Amino acid sequence: MSTIPFGTRRTRRWLPWASIAVPTIGWLVFGLFPSVSTVFFSFTEYSGFPGTPLHFCGMCNYSNAFNSSWSDFSSSVVVTLKYVAGVTILQIAIGLGLALLLRHRRKGFGLYRALIFMPQVFSVTIVGVLFSLVFDPQNGPAEPMYHGLFGSTSAFLGDQNWALWLVIMINVWMFSGYTMLVYIAALRRIPPELYEAASLDGAGRFRTFRHITWPLLANATTVNVFLTAMGCVGEFALIRVLTDGHYGTKTLGMYMFDTAFGVNPSLGYGSMLAVAQFLITLVIGSALLFFLRRREVTL
Amino acid sequence: MSLRLKEIARTGGLQLVCIVISVGFFALPLIYLALQAFKTNNEFLNNPTGLPHPWTFSNFSDAWSEGDFSNEMVNSLLYAIIPDIITLILGVFLAFPISRGWFRHSNVLYGFFVFSGFLPAGLIPLFIEAQKIGTYNSRIGYLIMTSLTGAGFFFFVGYIKTIPREMDEAAALDGCGYIRYIFTMIVPQMKPALATFGIFGFVAGWNNLILPLVMLNDQSLWPVTRGLFSFFGQYSSQWPLVAAATIIVALPILVVFAILQRNLVEGVAGGAAAGSGGVAVAQPVENNE
Repeated sequence: MSTIPFGTRRTRRWLPWASIAVPTIGWLVFGLFPSVSTVFFSFTEYSGFPGTPLHFCGMCNYSNAFNSSWSDFSSSVVVTLKYVAGVTILQIAIGLGLALLLRHRRKGFGLYRALIFMPQVFSVTIVGVLFSLVFDPQNGPAEPMYHGLFGSTSAFLGDQNWALWLVIMINVWMFSGYTMLVYIAALRRIPPELYEAASLDGAGRFRTFRHITWPLLANATTVNVFLTAMGCVGEFALIRVLTDGHYGTKTLGMYMFDTAFGVNPSLGYGSMLAVAQFLITLVIGSALLFFLRRREVTL
Repeated sequence: MSLRLKEIARTGGLQLVCIVISVGFFALPLIYLALQAFKTNNEFLNNPTGLPHPWTFSNFSDAWSEGDFSNEMVNSLLYAIIPDIITLILGVFLAFPISRGWFRHSNVLYGFFVFSGFLPAGLIPLFIEAQKIGTYNSRIGYLIMTSLTGAGFFFFVGYIKTIPREMDEAAALDGCGYIRYIFTMIVPQMKPALATFGIFGFVAGWNNLILPLVMLNDQSLWPVTRGLFSFFGQYSSQWPLVAAATIIVALPILVVFAILQRNLVEGVAGGAAAGSGGVAVAQPVENNE
């Protein structure tokens, strides 16, 4: 602890506290308190309508999840896991591919990178409406393409087999520019001498990538995998616009939102789902960090 | 083929691949949507995938008036700019004493802020709380709730550490007050960090759909994202009208992006965006530098 040089001897003691007071109180009231009381509300029964009572009911919401609501609950967990795995794997692969393609400073490349980055500055509403048009089963451009390829029709976002994968792809479309930029920043830090040495040793493209580029990108891969996975565990805004959680796209987040703010609101059960989502995030996050860090060392 | 010709062919091929990917995959959906906005509804139904013929412009004025977008644009600007500026200022006032270690256990407090980023999202209790304290369904209430979140603070702590302490002491000796020092010395030095977070904060505030969906019931309070969402539900059978509305909503952010894309792209490459996405990532991204 060091002493503050500002203020008089009297004001010196409380000046730093005064400086942090407003943001700290704001964070306590609108950040920490709601966050922590999610756990409290998960032990209650409450519809949220003004005037209705709040019942404390112990583990009722938790036992509901494993009994009467088990099929909804378990399927939302499975959908969430599929969603996280699908988005993460695709986005890392596509982001890395784009980074390798566009890493150099060449004519036009700045524009290409900007275009690829562009989708994520748009609201999920815009992206959602945009792809609802593209995948409109009657008049969308995807329909004739699908018909040409498979000779049949599809409801796309209204199709149980396709909806989740389309939402995953749209999510990847929106954010792969970010992954690309993180990879490009890392690629530019690889010393060029390493590539010169490799080419002198007669290493081909694939071996150079396998033994130089990929290991040296380990840190960036950790960041990208972690960021992507953590960013989409709780995703539901995009899903809300695209499918509203129907056709097998109800992630835990979407299920929570539906339960808490849908037609027949149950804030207690919704809070339990938020806690469940938190636990899943925690498990996935720590597992990823553990394996990715260990991998960085061994590579 | 001579070496030179081969090289030209290779760069040409590379450029072509890049154009096909960046324009074809990432820009084309938006261009396609924009084209639909220039068709009449009948023409769209007869010729959904082709170019507009003739070009009609009435969809934009129709969408503008029917969607009440003029009012919603003002709301969106308020919701994006005011919390953005307040958050930045409060973030500096929070980060400065903590990064200097001017009170007991400032490290503990910092760690506590970081830790709280991992806790469950408190959307449901925030909704209950907002109803109790009167910030629900209110423009001022919405601004208060979004202004006090302290985004960017973690990045600022690290950033302020690079500003030498000797400057504080010299300024204090010269009789410069605390608040004046922050605004005239610290803030100008933090310009790059503040600009990056300011842009990201503006974009995030403008784009937010979930919080307006939960917190704002009256249509007169809605931002454009919320308005477009309802408009889409209401006119989902009239694609040209919906397309026009979407372009109206997308245009301001597209202009911001076109002007500031270099800052945005560099912000990500420099890892500055990490703080706006999630606390956990600030560390590994910074390590990359």
